[in-house]
Amino acid sequence: MTETLHLINDIHDVPKLGAWVEGLGEKWELPMPQVFNLNLALEEAVVNVMNYAYPHEKGKPITVTANKDSEAFYFVIEDEGIPFDPTKAENPDITLDADERPIGGLGIFLVQELMSRISYERKDNKNILSLYV
Amino acid sequence: MKLEIKEKEGILTGVLCGRLDTAAAQQFEKDMQPLMGQANKPIVLDCTQLDFISSSGLRLFLALRKQTLAKGGSVTIKGVNPEIKQVFTITGFFSLFNFE
Repeated sequence: MTETLHLINDIHDVPKLGAWVEGLGEKWELPMPQVFNLNLALEEAVVNVMNYAYPHEKGKPITVTANKDSEAFYFVIEDEGIPFDPTKAENPDITLDADERPIGGLGIFLVQELMSRISYERKDNKNILSLYV
Repeated sequence: MKLEIKEKEGILTGVLCGRLDTAAAQQFEKDMQPLMGQANKPIVLDCTQLDFISSSGLRLFLALRKQTLAKGGSVTIKGVNPEIKQVFTITGFFSLFNFE
């Protein structure tokens, strides 16, 4: 089974992603906690693309594909922005007290924690990020 | 996403309702300014009706916590669902707030 969602790099397009994941959850009969985790991981990954792969341009495409069969369940996020490899992001120090914690830096960390594996490749001038459930 | 702020006996309560995703966080940041401005008081964030939070929402929770640290108030988080609780645990946010 494959489903595809087309977004543009506008923060106001993010709720479409949430609705799409909820729809997949119903169609593919996914458990509620998994739908929540997928919702969160995909949002963080897509928002990172908006912020880092397309820092200046507007109206640029981001494609999210869900693939599920008996052997594998994974999502692929593709964009045509500048090369950006989120798997190289440094993990935040989550043991710091509130006064020492920097604001931000949690997005990709959450993706890595919520998915079993993520992988990145640059191909045909595209960033291709795969998120394995 | 809605935020309703109430004050009773010196305790400020912010009741959050809906999805605090990246798109909603921009408006929420504006809506929470009365809490930021009174960070010398005990603040309760009632999350019983909060369905979802992303890192954009977490950063605003942390900003409020930092403000209360500076001003002498406190932040207590109430009624989070198990999925949101898990997000607080993963990110180490669980130890930064009081939970009820």
